[in-house]
Amino acid sequence: MAMMAPFLKYGTFGEETSLVLAFLIGIGFGFFLERAGFGSARKLVSQFYLNDLAVFKVMFTAIVTAMLGVTYLGWIGWLDLSLVYLVPTYLLPQVVGGLILGVGFVVGGYCPGTSVAATATGRIDGLVYVLGIFAGMFAFAELYPWLKGFYLSGSGEALTLPGTFGLPYGVVVFAVVLMAVGGFYGAGLLEKKFAATGE
Amino acid sequence: MPGWFSRLTLTQKLAAAALALGAVALFASPYPGTKVTLDAKELALIVGTEADHVEATELAAWIIESRADYRLIDLRTRAEFEQYHIPTAVNIPMNVLTEAGLGRQEKLVLYSEGGIHAAQAWMLLRAQGYRSAYMLKGGLDEWKDQVVFPVFADNAGPDERARDERRRSISAFFGGQPRSAAAVAAGSDALPGVAAPVTPAMPKVAAPSTPSGTAKPPAKKKKEGC
Repeated sequence: MAMMAPFLKYGTFGEETSLVLAFLIGIGFGFFLERAGFGSARKLVSQFYLNDLAVFKVMFTAIVTAMLGVTYLGWIGWLDLSLVYLVPTYLLPQVVGGLILGVGFVVGGYCPGTSVAATATGRIDGLVYVLGIFAGMFAFAELYPWLKGFYLSGSGEALTLPGTFGLPYGVVVFAVVLMAVGGFYGAGLLEKKFAATGE
Repeated sequence: MPGWFSRLTLTQKLAAAALALGAVALFASPYPGTKVTLDAKELALIVGTEADHVEATELAAWIIESRADYRLIDLRTRAEFEQYHIPTAVNIPMNVLTEAGLGRQEKLVLYSEGGIHAAQAWMLLRAQGYRSAYMLKGGLDEWKDQVVFPVFADNAGPDERARDERRRSISAFFGGQPRSAAAVAAGSDALPGVAAPVTPAMPKVAAPSTPSGTAKPPAKKKKEGC
């Protein structure tokens, strides 16, 4: 009981400290994105040519690592998962939002996080992408009164996979691990197949 | 380490580790669920030192001072809450209490009609690691008797009279009126005598507190008076 996570909710530290920590974690995130080669649009878009699926692998690895970590920390009682914030689910608007982000990813060659990492290393295309993000945010904010109805359509509940499918939490964890390992194997095959014709 | 394992690449080893962890996780649930543990010794200590509750008059003072370092929680049903609640209270019925997103370190003051539900809720919250949960001693019943409709002895001495004067103004602040001990005793039975003035007058109290949401506007006025 001495140290229980989430630290902020348990009052281990305050709002200010959490901002400092968020900054440090952000720096770490950017550093590893850059070290993974994700500061380059070339590396990122080869995902869509199927000759280098590093993005898929890195992201799925992150999901599996975090999922196993959270599961085990919760299991041994160091983390109260019921206090971890879940983003409310607005299914249709979020699907549309995901598609818009995907189109932006293909066209611009970055996703929001990697564009900042690219800008930090002085890439002009990254900087243009970041400016595009801010232009999009500004446009969205200005159009919000018209978009609000759609933006908040749906239940707004925080849906989870175990809850939606009525499966025990552990079963979903194992299924996601299987999916990841299967996905990595499949990604390897795809990379081999498209390596020659990729460029 | 078996031979086949050492022949795997690092990636394959990591994948195998993830699979193993995932397989074990089949039997895991990270949510604490509805089972809780209690530190009996700690609880006994808290209850024994009476550090588990707040007196009605103490709470009245906090409300009048507009203190904001605590959260007052009404555990009764929505309908009961709408009929009357202590100013500044929020309504969180028992069954949704642990899902209400209350902070583990937040100072929580719980009350129900009597004291039983609040005590049960208090135990529940303490068991789940809410460190600063308190009950309103005696619940709404004692709140009515001590704060809104306090009873005064008719032959009070000067010391008591000064104290009574303060209680009178507190009672007026919450829209109640003091009763004399003689009037209460005059009723055929003490209990109906207490209930009689309480029941019809209560909605009157709710009226000023409901539209404003909190008791802050009247609180300021009263402070000057005190």
